[in-house]
Amino acid sequence: MHESIFLAVLFPLVGFLLNALFSSMKFIKSGESGKEFFVGAFSTLMIVLPFVIAVGVFFELQSLPASEQKFVVNVYEWFKAGAMTVGVSYQLDSLSVLMMLVVTGVGSLIHLYSIGYMHGDEGFARFFSYLNLFIFAMLNLVLADNMALMFLGWEGVGLCSYFLIGFWYDRKFEGVGIETTTDAANKAFMLNRVGDFAMLGAMFLIFQKIGSLTFESILSQLSAFDQTHLFWMALLVFIGCTGKSAQIPLFTWLPDAMAGPTPVSALIHAATMVTSGIYLIARLSPLFMLAPDVMNLVAIIGAATAIIAASIAVVQNDIKKILAYSTVSQLGYMFLALGVGATTAAMFHLVTHAFFKACLFLGSGSVIHALHEEQDVRQMGGLQKVMPSTGTTFLIGAIALSGFPLTAGFFSKDELLAKTFASGNVALYAVGIVTAALTAFYSMRAYALTFLGDARWAHDKHPHESGATMTIPLWILAALSLIGGVIGLPAVIQEHNWIHGWLSRSQIVEKEMTMAHSTEWILLALSSAVAIGGLGFAYSIYTKKQTAAASQNGFYNLLLNKYYIDELYNALFVKPMRFVSEKILPTLDAALINGVLNGVGTSFISIARSLKIWQSGVAQNYALAIIAGLVAILSYLMLKQP
Amino acid sequence: MPNDYLLSLPILAAAGWSVLLIILEAMLSRAALTRVFAMLGFALVGGLSVIGFPLQGLAFSEMLRIGGFQHFANIIFCLSGLLVVALSEKYLDDENVHYGEYYIVAFISVVGMMLLAAAANMAILFIGLEMMSIALYVLAGLMRRDVRSNEAAMKYFLLGAFASGLLLYGISLIYGATGELALHKIAIAIQTGSASMLFWIGFGLLITGFLFKISAVPFHQWTPDVYDGSPTPAAAFMSTGAKAAAFSALIVVVTNFSTLLQNSPTWSLVISSIALATMVVGNIAALAQENLKRMLAYSSVAHAGYMLVGIAAATPDGYSGIMFYTLVYTLMNIGAFGVVALLESKENLLLASDYAGLFKHRPMLAGAMAVFMLSLAGVPPLGGFIGKYKVFAAAVDAKLTWLALAGVLASAVSAYYYLRVVYFMFMRDPVGEAISAPATSSLAFALIAVAVVLLGVFPTEILRITDAALKFAQLPTQTGF
Amino acid sequence: MDVSGILFVFLGAQIIVATVGTVWSRNPVTSALFLVLNFFALGGLYLLLEAQFIAVVQVIVYAGAIMVLFLFTIMLLNLDNERALAEKFDLRKGFAVLLGGVLLVELLYIIGLKTPIPIKQTALTTVQLGEAKYIGRELLTNFLFPFEIVSILLLLAVVGAIVLAKKNFTTSPKS
Repeated sequence: MHESIFLAVLFPLVGFLLNALFSSMKFIKSGESGKEFFVGAFSTLMIVLPFVIAVGVFFELQSLPASEQKFVVNVYEWFKAGAMTVGVSYQLDSLSVLMMLVVTGVGSLIHLYSIGYMHGDEGFARFFSYLNLFIFAMLNLVLADNMALMFLGWEGVGLCSYFLIGFWYDRKFEGVGIETTTDAANKAFMLNRVGDFAMLGAMFLIFQKIGSLTFESILSQLSAFDQTHLFWMALLVFIGCTGKSAQIPLFTWLPDAMAGPTPVSALIHAATMVTSGIYLIARLSPLFMLAPDVMNLVAIIGAATAIIAASIAVVQNDIKKILAYSTVSQLGYMFLALGVGATTAAMFHLVTHAFFKACLFLGSGSVIHALHEEQDVRQMGGLQKVMPSTGTTFLIGAIALSGFPLTAGFFSKDELLAKTFASGNVALYAVGIVTAALTAFYSMRAYALTFLGDARWAHDKHPHESGATMTIPLWILAALSLIGGVIGLPAVIQEHNWIHGWLSRSQIVEKEMTMAHSTEWILLALSSAVAIGGLGFAYSIYTKKQTAAASQNGFYNLLLNKYYIDELYNALFVKPMRFVSEKILPTLDAALINGVLNGVGTSFISIARSLKIWQSGVAQNYALAIIAGLVAILSYLMLKQP
Repeated sequence: MPNDYLLSLPILAAAGWSVLLIILEAMLSRAALTRVFAMLGFALVGGLSVIGFPLQGLAFSEMLRIGGFQHFANIIFCLSGLLVVALSEKYLDDENVHYGEYYIVAFISVVGMMLLAAAANMAILFIGLEMMSIALYVLAGLMRRDVRSNEAAMKYFLLGAFASGLLLYGISLIYGATGELALHKIAIAIQTGSASMLFWIGFGLLITGFLFKISAVPFHQWTPDVYDGSPTPAAAFMSTGAKAAAFSALIVVVTNFSTLLQNSPTWSLVISSIALATMVVGNIAALAQENLKRMLAYSSVAHAGYMLVGIAAATPDGYSGIMFYTLVYTLMNIGAFGVVALLESKENLLLASDYAGLFKHRPMLAGAMAVFMLSLAGVPPLGGFIGKYKVFAAAVDAKLTWLALAGVLASAVSAYYYLRVVYFMFMRDPVGEAISAPATSSLAFALIAVAVVLLGVFPTEILRITDAALKFAQLPTQTGF
Repeated sequence: MDVSGILFVFLGAQIIVATVGTVWSRNPVTSALFLVLNFFALGGLYLLLEAQFIAVVQVIVYAGAIMVLFLFTIMLLNLDNERALAEKFDLRKGFAVLLGGVLLVELLYIIGLKTPIPIKQTALTTVQLGEAKYIGRELLTNFLFPFEIVSILLLLAVVGAIVLAKKNFTTSPKS
């Protein structure tokens, strides 16, 4: 099976090319369902086939003896320049196959969903062509056996993200310094550039030192680096990852990336692309283990991002922005786990997060679709009765995100929090637990405001449940969100759970951390309590408030009491957070975008304008410049040449 | 002697064909027919170079040096000529300057380019340079009733003559210092004795003449003015074929003196500084251009800078990188200029914002243009990326990491102005009337774009050829087959 | 100083004066005449170097044919003195003079180095080297290729001049 891995990469590329052709031929006249279905099904098939191959490789890899743990498939030698050969060669080990399963699995479901979601859009084929191209680039990113090819995939997914955020380029979109979706796309593109430069720098450093960019040789020649080198390499890689995976300080592009169609948010900005930073650090974990300062930084940045983004999510009213900040926060969790050395826990959370966040985004898309592009949760409510499938799956996604006991999110979040605790960073653990409470709170808030209570949408809207192409992926993802945790049961239940065993076959390393079973039980209980508490708290606020407002015979005391809580909540969270999100973030944003990026741009352009003075158009002046250059060259030659 | 004819068959055929074209035009005076014959000629000469690729040796009393390098260069020149001629007709018709002589002049210019690449003697170097340049002056001034075209031709001629004067002075000083005109004999002379100051000054003047032709800073200022005023296909020709020829000549000269130059930190620093200045000035100036033709002109300055990095590296890897680069650059830049020419002639559309929504009307054309822009920006996996990569890697190997880094930064800046065009084409709604152009031309551009993509995805074979082609150019004294 | 030395100084001075005069004089006809003088002096220098053939060609072709053509053109166009172009001494000119000065000093320095000029050993005397016979033989043997290929260059010049300057030049009928 593994020999045919190039097919798995080729299918999405073929899908892209044919869809691009369909798009340029204007194959689909607006809203022709038959042709739409053909294009959509074809594109989906181009992702399902790689998934099938991934499953095949998975079993093949599993049947291998422990001594052979990976396949390296050389497709062809791409180019050779100087000492360096860059080959299109793919490395199939347990880590990359896991990523491939997630990318193609979730990717297939989202493709399927998009057939319904994008129905009637004039850019139907164009949308699918970008989506296929994205999967192509993403597969190159996760399968590459060298950093050069990986970086190409890295840039490729960035480019697709750019195109897809700006897909509806003529729409208005509000944000800091942003007026249209195109501005949002540009912002994402520019912030990612910052990270990409750091990544390039890291690659330069590595290449200079060992003369190769394959992961194999990097990881086997780590002893060639001294401490300073290791520090800078790890730091630069991490900065690169903060861009793509939306961490402090480069995270502000992700909420604005919600300008794109919702399936894009689910696929690119929740399940796959934004997790590539996690994947890369896990891939290079032996290197990071040797740079403890950077590891600490990763953990701190991760924890800070987790709590800040979670608290912002609490006060958002745009359903997609709630989920976007939630994604940033969950990615922060993963970085926290990476930072404390719990690499497997980070990967585990990556997988479960892909399930439930994709489920939530697709659910929100279903709602937005039903309400004709309404995204404000204040204009929703009461949709559970109208859209039972969407509502139920959204609820499942939300409780999984909260870490409700026995859901997938519960096990993964618990593991990474337990590992954080075991690593001895109690402060980071505390941040993680508070974040978990906030997570549970905003998850339930989003669900309750959207699906429970009174209908607050305009009467001329007649929301109804979405079609099967949209609900089937929802149910599959919901099921995975519920039971996906079995791959990584906590040690108290199963000593060697599956994902640890699986990932231990690859080269990733993690810190040895042991913990008494009793401690682990306590932590489990704490996590459950926090999750249930947060869910219940939000439920009580956001459902009863509405019923109270609706019926005047409510209990006055309770109302008063709730009012008091609301005030507290306001003072504790809303006001500071509103301050952060309305004052500090815009300033930060403005400083970053206008100050640094635009500043650099404008200064270049002003230099360019000033150069125009020299371009006088007078031939005599040009001749003079020629003579000046000549005199400079000749003078230098005469001075230096013996 | 028969070997001489066989060796230099492409050049002789080209020279003969140009006479044929003149007779044809004089007898029948049908521009369309002359055009077809010019294209046939390019195909023939290019084909001869392909067939004769393995032949190598010195010809005609060591006047010409023929080898893989020269054949490869010939193919680039013919490709450039062929594409420019193919894309010219509509533009010239629209501007009402569709003269058959245009094709004759372009053809003779290619003969000059081939002489430049094949020169083993400074006399040939000079004749080749003049033949190419005089033809370009004529092409620049082709639109006789257009003041800007006249201005472009005049400026190009005055400054070009000036640069030719410097070059000729350099040749005479080198002759004075060594008593030789043949490049490989000069190399021997400066190896046995040592390179005197007189030689270095002559060499500096000679190089200045070439730096002018490739529009390196500070010898570049004519470029935007001339490209802007010239007929757009002619500008495409100047920026690709002529630049490739000047680079070929530069490579021929520096490979002959490689032992001297590789051990000279002075030379390395001179060329590195010029390369740096060229990359920086070209890119920054391009940022401020609204007019696409001027933008492409400055972009062509910047690309000269990237290629000069390969000269600064002074290694076979660097030169081989330049050869690959010129091939890709010829394709993508003619593509870009060609799209501009196609759209410009109708509506005088020259601003990037005029391309708004092109994707909606002409998806294929917009797609091809996007490939050209991205490739010019050096986005992988397109051909432009491999070219840049190869050249920069050579610089790193030659311990010029700072120069390579500067090049990477400069091309990052360049992404801004190239992507701006893509942005307008894809992400804006069209304003005004749909832009019309024949569908066949879209297909032609799509084919060029496919070639650019293929060069990026499967460069190995071409890189192998360029590496091997330099072998002969590296051996200054070898003769015969 | 022998006779040829004196002649060299004389001719050299004449070339410098004539060149400055060409650039300096405002009247195009005067400029052209200075140039003729320049060419004559150059021919004299060639003679001093015993290059008789080149000397004669220099006088016949440049001073005779080309400059006469120039003069005709100038007179036909009835050019005025170039007052319109006369400018004040400005920064640019100062810069130009400075750069020119530096270049001159550099070149003088190089000449002052007195680099030994390699002399090729041949069986012929210098006088024989300057003869038409010898030049002709070189042109048709060693320099055959450049000699022949220059014809294409001349052809190009003719075609180019016609394209740019011919009156009533029209495009051929569209096919």
